[in-house]
Amino acid sequence: MTFWHILRVLAAGAGYTVLVTLVCIGTGLVVGLAVALLSRLRWRPLRIALFLFTYVFRGVPVLVLLFMVFFGLPGLGIRVPPLMSMVLSLGLICGAYLAEVFRGAMNAVSREEVLAAEAMGMGRVQSFRYVVLPQMLRFSAPGMINEFTSVLKYSPFAYTVGIPEIMKEAMSLTPVILRGLEVYLAVGIIYFGIYRAFLFLFKALEKRFRVPGLAAD
Amino acid sequence: MKMALIEVKNLVKRFDDKTVLKGVNVELDQGQVKVIMGASGCGKSTLLRCLNLLVQPTSGQVIFKGEDVTRPGVDVRRLRQQIGFVFQHFALYRHLTVQDNVTLGLTKLRKMTARQAEEKAFHELERVGMFEHRHKYPAQLSGGQKQRAAIVRALAMDPAVLFLDEPTSSLDPEMSREVVTVINRLYLDNVTMFCVTHDAFLAKYISDSVVFMDEGRVLEEDIAERLFYDHPNPRIREFFLGVIDLK
Repeated sequence: MTFWHILRVLAAGAGYTVLVTLVCIGTGLVVGLAVALLSRLRWRPLRIALFLFTYVFRGVPVLVLLFMVFFGLPGLGIRVPPLMSMVLSLGLICGAYLAEVFRGAMNAVSREEVLAAEAMGMGRVQSFRYVVLPQMLRFSAPGMINEFTSVLKYSPFAYTVGIPEIMKEAMSLTPVILRGLEVYLAVGIIYFGIYRAFLFLFKALEKRFRVPGLAAD
Repeated sequence: MKMALIEVKNLVKRFDDKTVLKGVNVELDQGQVKVIMGASGCGKSTLLRCLNLLVQPTSGQVIFKGEDVTRPGVDVRRLRQQIGFVFQHFALYRHLTVQDNVTLGLTKLRKMTARQAEEKAFHELERVGMFEHRHKYPAQLSGGQKQRAAIVRALAMDPAVLFLDEPTSSLDPEMSREVVTVINRLYLDNVTMFCVTHDAFLAKYISDSVVFMDEGRVLEEDIAERLFYDHPNPRIREFFLGVIDLK
């Protein structure tokens, strides 16, 4: 079996790696945005709950949370499918980190621009939609890219819950051909390729929406 | 009987234990331009912001087109859509081009189509000499151009009145002159305006009358010439001796 063959076998799992990464990023975006937004409400119990969420989820290792969900919850009679387990662990942790990124970016939007939108007759939702959101997403870009690449690098944990992604394929292949170094070198190359592809895509998006002179206030 | 466009009756605004407006009474007629002057912290900007309810007055009345807008249940957004507001530091939306800054309110609030909004924006941008800068972002404009763009954004909404909050204060003299020229043109076009400024040059060339405020009260209201030179009130005389060199 040539190195090229090894690469081709492992690449079969790349689709799952991309799927896990995208699903967790999507979850992180939705959760992060929701937490950052809801944190602005003045209802104290909610603010405390959201603070605790970000505080706890940023401090728990992905693998520990993943095992709690996948192996722990069935003990309570709740069986969580593998992909959903990734969402509830890596996705939520990503959300907790992104909530901080978004919160900082939201604070960086000029207060006077929001006031200008309100003075024009926009409501809170409109001023958020047309003034705050477009700017905060741009301000968040470096933090988001950082977080997205972290998600990709944590995605191999998916093999521990049986998702047939790259690592799972590698773990199956190594005992058969007994060439671990080459197999994991191939794994590294595939991950690096996916990482570069993601980075290229994110950077292209960032460049597409870049506004001259727009910097955090 | 002629009805004032805006009538302010005994307006009071208190922030915690500090009373910024202490019973302000002032009127603005349709087509009239009034400039509000006074020392920093006398309540000029707060007054302007109380009129479109960006700041909620503590007590008193603001009558706009015959309707008390300080009463509970008033449609604040509808009120604000009738009042153009120009900020000292421009407050242009930095992620949008000049043209998009102007069309945003037209499409989202006035519900114009993109084409109608664009035509309206072109017309207003030409009016203040900003047409060729329409595709630029705020960061690519000079201070004077930013303020002209901000004026266009407010004007495009066809407001009943334009509020200008220190429109030349953050500009150097040359850019300030550029903005004064634009505001003066609006004055000649009979645009109703309430302008807060420290700029005596601006006040002289655009105002029908000047309201002088001191420590949260209207101390005097008169035409600029009478207020600026040798006024019998020592506080007013002292203030204008300190800020103007109009001769």
